Amino acid sequence: MAVKPQVSIIALVDVIGALSDRSLLNGNLVLIDDGSFASRAQGTPELCTIVQPGQVVQWTALAVDLQTPVEIRNIEFLRLQPPGQPAYPAPQAGWAAPVAGAHPGMPAPSPAQPAYAAATGHGPGAFPPGPAAVTGAPTVESEKLDLEIWAGMVPYYMVPGVAYRYRLEFQMYEGPYSVLHVETPSLMRI
Amino acid sequence: MPQQLAIILLVDVANALEMKTLEGNAYLFDNMKLHGSEGQGTGELVTAIHGSYWRDGSQATEQVLNWLPYSLGSIPPTVPRGYEAERARQTDREALSELEAMVHKPANQGGDAAAQLSHLQQTLGTRVRSTRRTRGPATQKILDVTGNVISYDGAAAHTYPPPVITDIYGEAVDKKIMYPAEYGSPDMVTDGWYWSATVDSTRPGTYAYTMAVQLHRLLLQGGDWTWEPVDLTCESKLRIVSEPKRNAFTKSGLGLLPIPPA
Repeated sequence: MAVKPQVSIIALVDVIGALSDRSLLNGNLVLIDDGSFASRAQGTPELCTIVQPGQVVQWTALAVDLQTPVEIRNIEFLRLQPPGQPAYPAPQAGWAAPVAGAHPGMPAPSPAQPAYAAATGHGPGAFPPGPAAVTGAPTVESEKLDLEIWAGMVPYYMVPGVAYRYRLEFQMYEGPYSVLHVETPSLMRI
Repeated sequence: MPQQLAIILLVDVANALEMKTLEGNAYLFDNMKLHGSEGQGTGELVTAIHGSYWRDGSQATEQVLNWLPYSLGSIPPTVPRGYEAERARQTDREALSELEAMVHKPANQGGDAAAQLSHLQQTLGTRVRSTRRTRGPATQKILDVTGNVISYDGAAAHTYPPPVITDIYGEAVDKKIMYPAEYGSPDMVTDGWYWSATVDSTRPGTYAYTMAVQLHRLLLQGGDWTWEPVDLTCESKLRIVSEPKRNAFTKSGLGLLPIPPA
């Protein structure tokens, strides 16, 4: 079978479930791809998509309930760790800053961002600080997310057999708890 | 985003019938606040619709609108659809057993027959006659908003049938910005019929449209209460914007995935 020029990754989100649980786990997120190779963990947030350099990977978010808005807010590839250290450390402040020049106009996530509310000790019901987070006013980014096409070509320098994990961040409507992410999915070069 | 969008038309039915207008008695909401809809919760809603186009100018996303009419001062639309018929049947059964008890009482314990009959009348409530012209609402007896039958004297507070959208027309339709139609589905809220439209998002601008709304008023006709249809209109607007699709990683065209080297 000829290798497909494009691999589609569909993120199926149960928005109401995710917002109620404040989690994309518990079956609230399902990742599926149509890759030419034997991708692993289809139908789970741990999807490992097997790709080949030159292929275009495209991510699309779909809501289970058609009237609930969900968009991909960001996709950030995590850095591989040097040998001897855990493959992936826990997220640190500033760690998710985009590669310089890669995302002009995309602000670096701040610790006050809702997605990290649990990790930074904000209890349930406590609003993260920052006026932008509590007003619920539409932000420029969330307004424009529907225009974004999350697609890119698989680079040649990827090491075969290594899972390159990425942080997949979703925007579900707006407000202090509207952003959730997972760091479990990955791409792997055949 | 290619999602279905909802527009809620909430009508203060009693006031609209009294004032014979929906102006000031209709409240519109939609779920497009995120996209910049304005006037939510008022009669002046402007529904924002985000379109997008590909580099060759062709339409990239499709928008579907759904209109749902709700009533202020009615039994909630979430009760089962057979609720009113079921209430009518139940009160008939209750009245029958009351009548049975009355009839079987020994003659010397009859008590006040007039009072018993009056109570029976309360139990039975008032039936609404359905005519060919007024067969719209399926109400069998006059109920109050808590779902109890009432013996209607022309003044008591009663629940109204929900408003019915009978047409959507006007500038946005004439200019082929949207293509509304009425669809049937086992929808619980609108009794199986709802208005829906697809939107052409390639022509940005603000376009007005009009909803024809039918309300129902209790009217005494030849000794019978009937639901008299009252047709009113309500205007709203769509504001369409359209922007080019872009690659989220590069903010322009397709590039390599930003994967940090190993």
